[in-house]
Amino acid sequence: MNVLGKNKLHRRTLLTGAGSIALALPWLECMGEKKLAHAQAGTTAKRFLSVFQPGGTIAAQYWPSGTPEAPILSPILKPLESVKSKLLVLRGLDMKSAVGEQHQAGIIAFLTGSTQGPETVVLTDGGYSYYPSIDQIIATKISKNIKAKASLQMAVRWATGSSHGLLHPINAANFEDSANLAPIPPRLDPQQIFDDLFGTLTPAVAPTPGANTAPLERKKSILDFVIARYAELSARLGPNDRAKLEQHLTKLREIELGLSKGPVGSATCRAPVRANTTGYNPTTGLNSNEEGSIVDVSTDSMIPTVGKFMMDMMVMALACDITAVGSLQWSDTEAKHTFPWLNLHDHQHAYEHDDSPGGMAACTTIATWYSEMHNYLLGAMDQVDMGGHTLLDESVVFFGSELSLPSTHMKDNMPFLLAGQGGGLRGGRLLNFNATSHNNLLVSILNLFGDPRTSYGDPQFCTGALNGIT
Amino acid sequence: MPGGIIGAQACSAPLPPSAPLRRLTRFEYNNTLRDLANITDNPANAFPSEESGNGFGNDAASQSVPNILAEKYISAAASIASTLTDPANVGKLASCASAPLVGDEVTCVRSVIDGFVARAYRRTVQPAEADGLTQLFQKLRVNETFSSSLAAMLEAVLQGPDFLYKPEFGEPVPGRTDVLRPTGDEMAVRLSYLFLGSIPDDALRQAAARGELQTPAGVQTQAQRLLADPNARQVTAFFFDNLLPIAALSALERDKTLFPAWNAKIGSLMRQETQTFLDHEIFEGPGTWPGMFTAKYTYLNDELAAYYGIPGVSGSSFQQVALDGLKRGGLLTQGGMVAGPIHSNPTNPVTRGALIVKKLLCQNIPLPTGAVLSQVKVPEPNSAPTARERFSAHSSQPACAACHSNLDPVGFALENFDAVGQWRDQENGVTIDPSGNSPLFGSFSGPVELGQRVAESPEAMQCFARRWMEFGYGRVTGERDACALQSTWEKFKGAGYNVKTLLIQLTETDTFNYLPAVRE
Repeated sequence: MNVLGKNKLHRRTLLTGAGSIALALPWLECMGEKKLAHAQAGTTAKRFLSVFQPGGTIAAQYWPSGTPEAPILSPILKPLESVKSKLLVLRGLDMKSAVGEQHQAGIIAFLTGSTQGPETVVLTDGGYSYYPSIDQIIATKISKNIKAKASLQMAVRWATGSSHGLLHPINAANFEDSANLAPIPPRLDPQQIFDDLFGTLTPAVAPTPGANTAPLERKKSILDFVIARYAELSARLGPNDRAKLEQHLTKLREIELGLSKGPVGSATCRAPVRANTTGYNPTTGLNSNEEGSIVDVSTDSMIPTVGKFMMDMMVMALACDITAVGSLQWSDTEAKHTFPWLNLHDHQHAYEHDDSPGGMAACTTIATWYSEMHNYLLGAMDQVDMGGHTLLDESVVFFGSELSLPSTHMKDNMPFLLAGQGGGLRGGRLLNFNATSHNNLLVSILNLFGDPRTSYGDPQFCTGALNGIT
Repeated sequence: MPGGIIGAQACSAPLPPSAPLRRLTRFEYNNTLRDLANITDNPANAFPSEESGNGFGNDAASQSVPNILAEKYISAAASIASTLTDPANVGKLASCASAPLVGDEVTCVRSVIDGFVARAYRRTVQPAEADGLTQLFQKLRVNETFSSSLAAMLEAVLQGPDFLYKPEFGEPVPGRTDVLRPTGDEMAVRLSYLFLGSIPDDALRQAAARGELQTPAGVQTQAQRLLADPNARQVTAFFFDNLLPIAALSALERDKTLFPAWNAKIGSLMRQETQTFLDHEIFEGPGTWPGMFTAKYTYLNDELAAYYGIPGVSGSSFQQVALDGLKRGGLLTQGGMVAGPIHSNPTNPVTRGALIVKKLLCQNIPLPTGAVLSQVKVPEPNSAPTARERFSAHSSQPACAACHSNLDPVGFALENFDAVGQWRDQENGVTIDPSGNSPLFGSFSGPVELGQRVAESPEAMQCFARRWMEFGYGRVTGERDACALQSTWEKFKGAGYNVKTLLIQLTETDTFNYLPAVRE
């Protein structure tokens, strides 16, 4: 037997080995180029947010009754009543592209429409994605080098289970739209996020002693020097090595461009109130090497506070033009954390596997709470006046999960919601697509941003945009 | 060679070795700052985690730079530079720098560049580079203090590619056009990161400066010296934490009613058991890889011994404890090895078997896909009393059997250990049969004999060498490494599979001693 011969080509090796441009083609080709009539100039959506909720829902308590044009919200969706007119409930979408490990394939397909990538030496259950996530496609179109940051990923109580704080197919939802399709780790520390995003709006940090140059100018001088050095060095390297330094260089240039695009305070843009998140350890998963239990009651108890704080920051990051594209992850697909404020002291994953009435009731309670949180987010977006319309009105917000029914891990009839009016999206409705692949939804979302393609993700699971969402 | 792992391959003219550009991992960044600047608070822990890639997080091909990492490099550099230039520390950068400044400022900055920056870059700073750094200092110095301007210069150094990456340009090898060899400084970097996970120490830099790393003998001398350094043990511990399922034992979740004795503390003690065992074996004991699988002892403290039901151990410190060789004996029977791969309350022989076959035998068993996948279901816990019966039914289908015949028997041999690593004779009132026969290992009567079979397996020994090459070289190995693996394995075998010898062997391959003339 030949061990070495069996070694599969690593995705990265393949892509970097043959040159990034040429190998980016297979996925570009299948994305199609035909113009769509309804994506008219001037009416395209201006902001995109995706929100991931782990563990699906309880169908019997979830789907609205009433008519498509006048849905009556179910118990689980009831908390969203106040934004119902801007909410589009999408029934009958199957996540057909989620082929692979049952949790991992779900979160990977969520924004990519991709089957799970090949396994590696370590990722023995399978790899990441064959396609970028749509948020990155949108970011490149409307945010990158225009806003301070191309996109922003945040997560609450993330990497809880067997990923132990590490980026892994079981918790990765966002994938770069460069040839290497790298999974993007989310930001985890709410206080650091606040400092990074709103530090210049609220100068609470004392400047470096003796630093009299404007902080911006100082940073720029240093970055200019560093960028020049990256460029100089990469020019002396071979093509693969150069690609690595150039990725770093690209990110530094984005950061430098962002320096001069810091948020400017106005009636619309103001720093959110800094929440007190004492007791919350954002890297409680990362520390699993040390002694201590993963059931971190102190951190878990702070999830509602931290979640609202992150949503506040996400809303203002959009309103302040810090970015136009964001992703928020509530935990990961394992969701091995507890809900002390709901009096649920086992972790969510345990309730998902418990199909007794008690387990189902717990899952209903959890899903309802996520609706309350989503209502908080949409409500906050709907409070921000962008000049005659609200932030929500010019946005598209995609809310979903990695599976539909917790106990079976099925991925048909996914609990997917769209909100906002960006690109002419029309809410207040319940549409039933009768077992249509969710790749069609992904291409529809891209269309709302003026992206003309007719297919997205794995083409075998995409038959074109959904009808009737605008 | 039994099994012919590598197969007939002409190794007389090996391919030019691969030498991709490597970036410091979080482990290396922390060690580097500790040794460079006495920064001991592990600043890289704030960086996003590496992609696991080759299994050790240092696979050069999967080192991506997400925005947040680029940002974190910048903020870490700012924070470290500020610490290094505060009044209490600035004198350590260069004695001239402590207030009041001694002599001319620019001269002092130059001495920081020649000392600290050269160590950070792990090479001599070229005159033009030194001019550039000095100019950055002077540009800031117009409006800022000496220390703030110096801090800015150090910020640039610490987020620059010469610090974060390990670029290599090599020098010609007489008589060869297809390869270059690392310069003395570059070889020092290869050696120090392989053995210490950190920057070269003074002795290594001096050896490089004296030209001693241009000869195999000089490299060997330094390799032996570095392997004896206490910090080398951290590197082997890091390797095993990533190879074996022991890093996250304290986070394993189990039903408290079913397993009242289990808790996070026991998990971390199990990790300590395996770490202590391996560390003692390699650095103080006989140190052979087969010996790890047949050792009739382990390292326990009172609490873990009581948990295992092994009497006669007192005190909270870990000590060598003799084993009966019937229930426990060898690495495979340590609690962490049997509890770590399990993610549920019932055991799963498939995941236990897969761990051994994939990680320790380097056999790639593909996951089921397509039509087969849709039929895959973990057996119901109540469908039969023992795991053997539950899993045999599901994997007896022809589509499953091809792979599962390699995995399941190996897992069945460990069924006497429950999901939290405690011994059991029965499952649901039925006596467990741990015997088996695997195409990969032959037949065995139970867990201890399975360890014996692993110890006798040339494939397992070669796999271990391959894992070290992957970690040591920061790559996924492939066809082009076959010859290096072959020669390393032969020497490993010749040394009775001594692990320290294997580590030294890693510095004797073409891969370690050369780089391709045409850059990748």
